[in-house]
Amino acid sequence: MPLGCSRLIVFVGLLFVFTGWTVSQDDRTTDHLEGLRENRPIDVVLMNADIIVRPGSLIKNGVIVIRSGMIQRVGDHTIPIPDDLKSIDLAGKTIYPGFIDAFSEQEVSTEAVEAGAAYWNANIRPQLAMADQYQIDDDLNSDLREQGITARLVAPAGGILKGTSCFVLTGQGNLQQSLLNANVAHHARLTVSRRSSRGGTRPAYPNSPMGAVALARQAIIDAKWYSQANRAAKADPLIPKPDTNDALEALQAVISQQSTVIFDTSNELYFLRADRFSREFGLKSILRGSGFEFRRLDAIAKTGRPILLPVNFPAAPNVTSYETALNVSLETLMEWDIAPENPARVAQAGIPFAFCSSGLSSPKDYLKNIRKAVQRGLSANDALSALTITPAQLLNVEKSVGTIAPGKMANLVITDGELFQSETKILETWVRGARFQTKKELSYTIDGDWELKTTDPNGKQLALQVTIEKKSGSLTVPQSRSKKAPQEAKQKKGGKNKTKPGSKDKSAPDDEVKFKKIGIVNARVSALFDSERFGVTGIAQLTFVFSDGNNDLATGYLTWPGGQRVAASIGRDQLDSAANDDQVTQPKIVKKPLSSEDSSQQKSMSSFSVNYPLGAFGVESLPQVETVFIHNVTIWTCGSAGIIQNGAVVLKNGKILAVGEKLDWPTSKETLIIDGKGMHLTPGIIDCHSHMASDGGINESGQAITSEVRIGDFINCNDINLYRQLAGGVTSSNILHGSANPIGGQNQVIKLRWGMLDEDLKFQQAPQGIKFALGENVKRSRDPDSTRYPRTRMGVQQIFMDQFRAAQGYQQQWKRWATSRTGLPPRRNLELEAIVEILEGKRWIHCHSYRQDEILALIRLLDGFDIRIGTFQHILEGYKVADEMKKHGAMGSAFADWWAYKFEVYDAIPYAGALMHDAGVVVSFNSDDRELARHLNHEAAKAVKYGGVPPEEALKFVTLNPAKQLRIEKYVGSIEKGKHADVVLWNGNPLSTLSRCEKTWVDGKRMFDREVDQTLRKKYAEMKRALVQKVLASGEEMNNAPGGRPLKAAEMWPNYDEFCKCKSVNLDK
Amino acid sequence: MKNLSVFYTTVVILTWILTVDSIAHDEVPGGPQKQPIALVGGTVHPVSGPAIENGTVLFDAGKISRIGKSVEVPKGTKIIDVSGKHVFPSLFEAHSQIGLIEIGAVRSTDDRREIGSFNPNVKAQIAVNPDSEVIPVTRSNGVLLALTTPSGSIVSGKSAVIQLDGWTYEDMTVKSVAAMNIIWPSVKSAIAYSPSGSPERRGRSSATGSESEGTDSIGQLKKLFNDARAYQAAIKAKSKTQKHDLRLESMIPVINGELPMMVTANDLQQIQSAVAFANEQKAKLIIFGGYDAPHCADLLKKHQVPVVVSAVYRLPRRRNEDYDTAFTLPAQLSQLGVRYCISGSDRSETWNARILPDHAATAVAYGLDQTEALKAITLYPAEILGVDDQVGSLEKGKDATLFVSDQSPLEITNQVELAFVQGRAVDLSDRHKRLYQKYQQKYRQKRELSK
Repeated sequence: MPLGCSRLIVFVGLLFVFTGWTVSQDDRTTDHLEGLRENRPIDVVLMNADIIVRPGSLIKNGVIVIRSGMIQRVGDHTIPIPDDLKSIDLAGKTIYPGFIDAFSEQEVSTEAVEAGAAYWNANIRPQLAMADQYQIDDDLNSDLREQGITARLVAPAGGILKGTSCFVLTGQGNLQQSLLNANVAHHARLTVSRRSSRGGTRPAYPNSPMGAVALARQAIIDAKWYSQANRAAKADPLIPKPDTNDALEALQAVISQQSTVIFDTSNELYFLRADRFSREFGLKSILRGSGFEFRRLDAIAKTGRPILLPVNFPAAPNVTSYETALNVSLETLMEWDIAPENPARVAQAGIPFAFCSSGLSSPKDYLKNIRKAVQRGLSANDALSALTITPAQLLNVEKSVGTIAPGKMANLVITDGELFQSETKILETWVRGARFQTKKELSYTIDGDWELKTTDPNGKQLALQVTIEKKSGSLTVPQSRSKKAPQEAKQKKGGKNKTKPGSKDKSAPDDEVKFKKIGIVNARVSALFDSERFGVTGIAQLTFVFSDGNNDLATGYLTWPGGQRVAASIGRDQLDSAANDDQVTQPKIVKKPLSSEDSSQQKSMSSFSVNYPLGAFGVESLPQVETVFIHNVTIWTCGSAGIIQNGAVVLKNGKILAVGEKLDWPTSKETLIIDGKGMHLTPGIIDCHSHMASDGGINESGQAITSEVRIGDFINCNDINLYRQLAGGVTSSNILHGSANPIGGQNQVIKLRWGMLDEDLKFQQAPQGIKFALGENVKRSRDPDSTRYPRTRMGVQQIFMDQFRAAQGYQQQWKRWATSRTGLPPRRNLELEAIVEILEGKRWIHCHSYRQDEILALIRLLDGFDIRIGTFQHILEGYKVADEMKKHGAMGSAFADWWAYKFEVYDAIPYAGALMHDAGVVVSFNSDDRELARHLNHEAAKAVKYGGVPPEEALKFVTLNPAKQLRIEKYVGSIEKGKHADVVLWNGNPLSTLSRCEKTWVDGKRMFDREVDQTLRKKYAEMKRALVQKVLASGEEMNNAPGGRPLKAAEMWPNYDEFCKCKSVNLDK
Repeated sequence: MKNLSVFYTTVVILTWILTVDSIAHDEVPGGPQKQPIALVGGTVHPVSGPAIENGTVLFDAGKISRIGKSVEVPKGTKIIDVSGKHVFPSLFEAHSQIGLIEIGAVRSTDDRREIGSFNPNVKAQIAVNPDSEVIPVTRSNGVLLALTTPSGSIVSGKSAVIQLDGWTYEDMTVKSVAAMNIIWPSVKSAIAYSPSGSPERRGRSSATGSESEGTDSIGQLKKLFNDARAYQAAIKAKSKTQKHDLRLESMIPVINGELPMMVTANDLQQIQSAVAFANEQKAKLIIFGGYDAPHCADLLKKHQVPVVVSAVYRLPRRRNEDYDTAFTLPAQLSQLGVRYCISGSDRSETWNARILPDHAATAVAYGLDQTEALKAITLYPAEILGVDDQVGSLEKGKDATLFVSDQSPLEITNQVELAFVQGRAVDLSDRHKRLYQKYQQKYRQKRELSK
């Protein structure tokens, strides 16, 4: 009895520790039962498997005890095994913790949200709970389980503050059984779905990424106010309680950091934006990545935010022909080449990350792509962590899932080998103790050599060699093999694959018996052979079944002609694995060649390192600040020194150190010395009206007043136009909101710091500004059905009046609050705040304008509020009221010679610049166009041509004058001591159409150099050629989708003002 | 101030030549040349040959009669001293919609596009508004010749070569039908809303013009050509059952290879497709756009297809392309031996055709020879459009359609001081100058008041 005794003790011990575990399945539910009770035994012991209990921790030949769907005990074979449980022998198998899909989305209805006390804008719906609407999709769950996914996060799709996600199991059963956590995190995305084509129906506010961020920002601010206001109302019964609002209620968990916010990001820039947004409001956030993190890995690592990482690697671009390859950019090729290494690089950067299926068209590619990531340098441990423990931790569900440990759910993945080897199969997925065997995908290729073990009609053990090829084959009695000459055996071994089944006849004809017939039905193979060789006349029937989930091993039986049925088993011939065994005859059938994969691993790594921004003309390292001495050059200082013939300039530490007629500068290694003979040096060109380098939509046209919207939230440092414009001498640019609204969004002045990050492009010293617009665009002339206020110039003026009055009121409200601190605290209103900043002289208006009446009307209105305008933009009829502009102090930034594209520019004349200049107005010529910006020096020359502005003054139209207009003339705009070293070297007179920009410095860094460009273009052409070859050699299926590749995030939105039909907007006409 | 004075000189000279009262509003077309005129003492740029310093251009009855260093001038010749100035043949915009549209956004002023996709029968010539304000503005910069074309549909219609002065469209006609203008089908998807502007995104089907929707449109084009052949045969055979069809009738010169089709195509696959189509149909082809033309230079040379570069001021079409791809396009074509000329059409739309020389000059900055550049906006368009017997260079027997400028038009700051269309003196005033003068008055009045 000692044995039984000890068992009992153990059992009691277990009871003691895990009392809760003796409950049966229906003890978990409160559901009413119909019909008969069903109590199938579900508790089980898994035996003899290799168990990876957590990444890096293996139990060889281990045991898992599962009761009520929970893991009761895990250990090696020495742990006691309860004898009341069914056991499953998993010898040769490996068990992993069940995988977690850290992010997926489901469509939701917003009906319930809207029926409640909703936020005014339906995109703000944090009160929406996925758990209330989660729909179980059995087919999807089955697909997920086949990938080893046992649990997943499901987030609501759509919206900006999207609602909360839930965490569900992928097993069968109802919601009550599937739902693990009804509220995992809040979800947000700082963009909206792409609006339909130009002129199509425009969804309501917000209809641009810029608008989305602005709205999210306001909502968070509102939530903070909501709690303050409620507190105030609670403290003082005389203070009215703010209106109930479900959304603001729900956001309390976000602003108090009780709840994590998971942001969707569509590329690396959106990632950084989401991080900034989180920091702005102190949010606890996790970012759902894009797969493009490698493009700016350092910056992303620096945020310290964990990532839910998708593995939807881009498809190979179509480079079949010279013609199709021509249309594929180096950037796309590099993305294809590098993206599979993104997980490895993210891991190497030390960023915590979990895998998610987001973005995959089918979950079936999930494991395949993760294996690809492992092949491309991700360690198996990191990969497994990202599938199991990391998501469990990030999503705060590690108490129940993520590892194989007592007390956790029995979520398991059982494989026939090392998980990340491509031939390894997932045999079973267990979800909360329920076993799901993967549909057998065994192909039962029975070709090759086998060893058949059975007994002859006399009961004598037989070990036969079986060779099968294409449904014919033979049996060989083993004794005969030893007779073979060793030499021959070697020969065969070396001679690779299959010798024809019949070929052995010659050496040992008597030993071989051919099968008469071989058939395969499902997993059953049957064969007939003449049994005479075995001493019985007749036909023997052989049947074996691949029943073990292993296509190298099958068991069955043999029926001899006499009726004796004997057991048989068949396995892959192992003989040739025995070292130096001369008896070995045939090589083993070659499985998926592991070895070749290994050797190709080096080759399959990406070919080129990441440059910034990725693709052609990106920089590998940022240009350094140079010390430059240019002498013997004609300098257009645009300052008081005028034009200096034979001048010299020194650039040092990013500033202009000296400029003059005769300058000496010591020759040293550190100094770049340029003999500027025949060349001209000018200040960097400043474009006072641009829409490049922004991917936030340019126009937020959902409302007539959008002063809360900020271009600065969406600087796109990847825009190739930055480089192209540097090649035209542009060094600073005023990125303006479009002209859709009387009051548009806030502009952002940037420097063209190619290669640097979005935030680094911002011209820090430039004061804030805002776009206003008048005339045809804002009154929606091209849309006869528009019902938006205003529709006339009369209404445009009134909406300004109304807004400035409102801002004054708002200003007063805060002033009162600052002194009294009584009553309901005022709510910060970002829209009015920006207008107040105008009233306070902290924000400059840049107003799109054409006709003289609207110009004058605005001047009068602004005079009434004591506001001085920053600039009038376009200002094509400014020449008619130049005196009034001068009186107000207005500056004008115009087109040089555009006219007649719409009625309000019919009176536009190229002499306008000269007329305004002559009247004493500070005039600049701008581009409003990505192409035109590349030769603004030509535009300046038009001021000489039309109206005879002296050349020196004309050049100021694109240098000093725009600097004055943007209030940055202290720093840039002229070549004067102490100013930023933003200069351009031309090969001739900058006002000549025949001259060319040769070199451009920004902050003393050579951002463009035509000589360097000439070598770069060869380099990038060569890179492209190499990658095209790589795609062709990869054998990957190329993207043949009718629309070409999917849109990149930055391509979703125009980077021009589509409301300003100033020019042909698309040059690809 | 120098330029201002030049401007005033121009005005003074004009008043003298025109012998009409200066008119405050619309410019008056020049009367027929009554006496021989000799431009003496300037540098003459025939374009077809080397420049002649201190040369003379003599023209009579609208035609150039003598040109050279020492030219005997007949009695009764009006001699105009243009010492220190330069004489050029008219600049020639090889693609525009001048006269067909006045204000871009005002539909009622727009006659560019007829209903339907196939309009071979419509003629730009007869819809040119001689009083368009665009015309004087354009010619003020030496652009006195232009192709004007219907646009927007697959077969947009017949374009005409016009001269930018005259009382009626007939006065203005140089060649009533110069080409059949066609927009190669895939271009339609190329100009569809695509913020990226990148052909990469458009994928194979739309870019080739030979698959999916392309098949339909090219199939329809093919049918149009085949039907035109059948129609021609029926008419020749004096068929009694064949009723008239204006569209097919208009296609007959095209299928017979008499009238070139001018096909808008920029993408390599479009160009290849258009060349193959033209060969199959034995039609004459001119490519307009031609961005990718250097990629198929051999093909274009083999079939002698000329390219009208639709603009030099163009962005690279593909992200990884050199920033100056479009700037160097004319130089590349020149080097590769492809016939070409330069237009500014893609950038200037119609109302700014005056900036044509800036396009050519930019090509010079990026590698094109200066004399080539001048030819590319004078003689080459005339050759490609089949009017070089009449215009395009300063040669004896050609039209006296020329201008006098203070410097090369390749310098953006140049001032055109005199211009003649078929010997008729051109009023170089325009809407812009008039408004300039008007508002100078305003400030003059104010200044006087403050004194």
